[in-house]
Amino acid sequence: MIHLAKRVILQTLNDKRSVMMIFIAPLFALTLIYFLLGDSDYTATVGINKNAMPAPLVTELKAQDLKVIYVSNDDFQHPKQYLKDHLDVDAIFTISENASVNIIMYEPSKKSAKALSEIQKALSSLNPSAKINMSYVYGAQDNSTFESLGYVFLGLFAFLLVFIISGMALVRERSGGTLERLMMTPIKRGEVILGYTLGYGVFAIIQAILIVFYSFYVLNLHSIGNIGWIVVAMVLLAITAVSFGAMISVFSTSELQVVQLIPFTIIPQVFFSGLIPLDLIPYHLGNLCYLMPVFYGVEAIKRVMVYGGGFLQIWGYLFGLIGYTFILYILNTLALKKFRKL
Amino acid sequence: MDIKISNVSKSFEKKEVIKDITFTIPSGEICCLLGPSGSGKTTLIRLMIGAIAADTGHIQLANIKMPNLKMLKKIGYMPQNDALYDDLSAESNLRFFGGLYQLSKSKLEQRVKEVLELVDLTEHRKKLIRNFSGGMKKRLSLAASILHQPDVLFLDEPTVGIDPVLRRTIWDQFQEIKKSGTTIIVSTHVMDEVTECDKAALIYNGSLIEYDSVEKLLKKTNTGRVEELFLMASSRGGVVK
Repeated sequence: MIHLAKRVILQTLNDKRSVMMIFIAPLFALTLIYFLLGDSDYTATVGINKNAMPAPLVTELKAQDLKVIYVSNDDFQHPKQYLKDHLDVDAIFTISENASVNIIMYEPSKKSAKALSEIQKALSSLNPSAKINMSYVYGAQDNSTFESLGYVFLGLFAFLLVFIISGMALVRERSGGTLERLMMTPIKRGEVILGYTLGYGVFAIIQAILIVFYSFYVLNLHSIGNIGWIVVAMVLLAITAVSFGAMISVFSTSELQVVQLIPFTIIPQVFFSGLIPLDLIPYHLGNLCYLMPVFYGVEAIKRVMVYGGGFLQIWGYLFGLIGYTFILYILNTLALKKFRKL
Repeated sequence: MDIKISNVSKSFEKKEVIKDITFTIPSGEICCLLGPSGSGKTTLIRLMIGAIAADTGHIQLANIKMPNLKMLKKIGYMPQNDALYDDLSAESNLRFFGGLYQLSKSKLEQRVKEVLELVDLTEHRKKLIRNFSGGMKKRLSLAASILHQPDVLFLDEPTVGIDPVLRRTIWDQFQEIKKSGTTIIVSTHVMDEVTECDKAALIYNGSLIEYDSVEKLLKKTNTGRVEELFLMASSRGGVVK
């Protein structure tokens, strides 16, 4: 078993692509996501009709983080056409005679949302009684998407990369005949799976520490809880990923087939990882999340990072992962019977 | 270690691949399993090493019924494909397989050195397998299968795709291994190789059509070529008993 683990480590280290994939790829992807979902500093552009708008409101609008432009009367008759022709304008804002507010926007997007929230600020500062004060139990209003969803990506990367690498390596072992040769030595079937898990487990630990340090110290993610528990959850998730990869390799005879199975293996995991709020999924389909190992890991990470939980708040999820790994371990050991009866 | 095969049959998905085969391979000889591809040679080897169990009949290695986990220590097996780790060096490959046989550290180092010398790869021991030529891989694969000094060695088509010079070298190595008392079972579809062996089992469509010492088998033919025996079997459309 130790020999197998040592071999897995040596083999992975000798393959530069695998090393890159485990250590560099998650940092690269996180950096990309940091820029894509981080603070955009976008200033929305709003078109108004100066003549039909009360002067104090115009002043207030200008005081906000908005670019205000004046639109002619003619264009105001056809605001939708105007927005189509002027893509740099995010919203047209009008107030009719009876003081009802009309805001026309190009499409539902973050840009429109930004314009909308700035217009609301302007309106509420004119009318203090309509001012809304918002606050949250966890998190803050000005959190960027990266800050509020960061925990999902920590879990996803911990799972995906180890899954792909271990799954591929096991398929190669099956198709290359080394597994057959391995099974003709006195090694026990259970030891084969354990050895693999142990070997990749070492990479999982290093990877989890690397990802956590990078996201918290370089990308400035914040955790209320102890980041040690985040590392624990990520390592357990990655170990489940090794078993999961081993399971998938049973159903594939080549690396290409592992890729072909991605729609059944990885994509549901991404959907149920917490990227989409599970409570909102109809027909109770959200409960399918209990079948997805990524869900357990991400939920544990979330409880530590966002809710400030410790072991008592996440033990259920951690044991969920351990249970998942155990069941897969039994199945994988049985699947090796194909190569050796005993 | 002698091998007794008694009335062994094996089917895969209702197709009978091995049909009621009985023969005994005496200890310390080279026995070749000869037959066209698809005749069931590999299945027979897998049955003998205990990777799969027979449907009917039984196989004994030194009077121990197979499959048996303990016997795996005494068995060496060289699969048809090279079955080596591309991302490891020759040495690391051997150390890994040797480690699985629970050889002690010093014993392992000594054996790695010995087998590398035997297959003449000592100077390439630090090279990764992905940079090996086909012939070098074959030789290293052989080295990996004899690391633990098995009593019986199974070689599945060891000389496929190998040039005549290297084939000669490899057969010399087999003879060398035989001298140490190892029983060798080698499958091949190259009829010429039969002369290298002591005994030959001719397998055709999953049945054993002939089993005898090579000398006697060759006497049965008019031309002194083994092909003839297969041609005779196929013209009779079945089994000679």
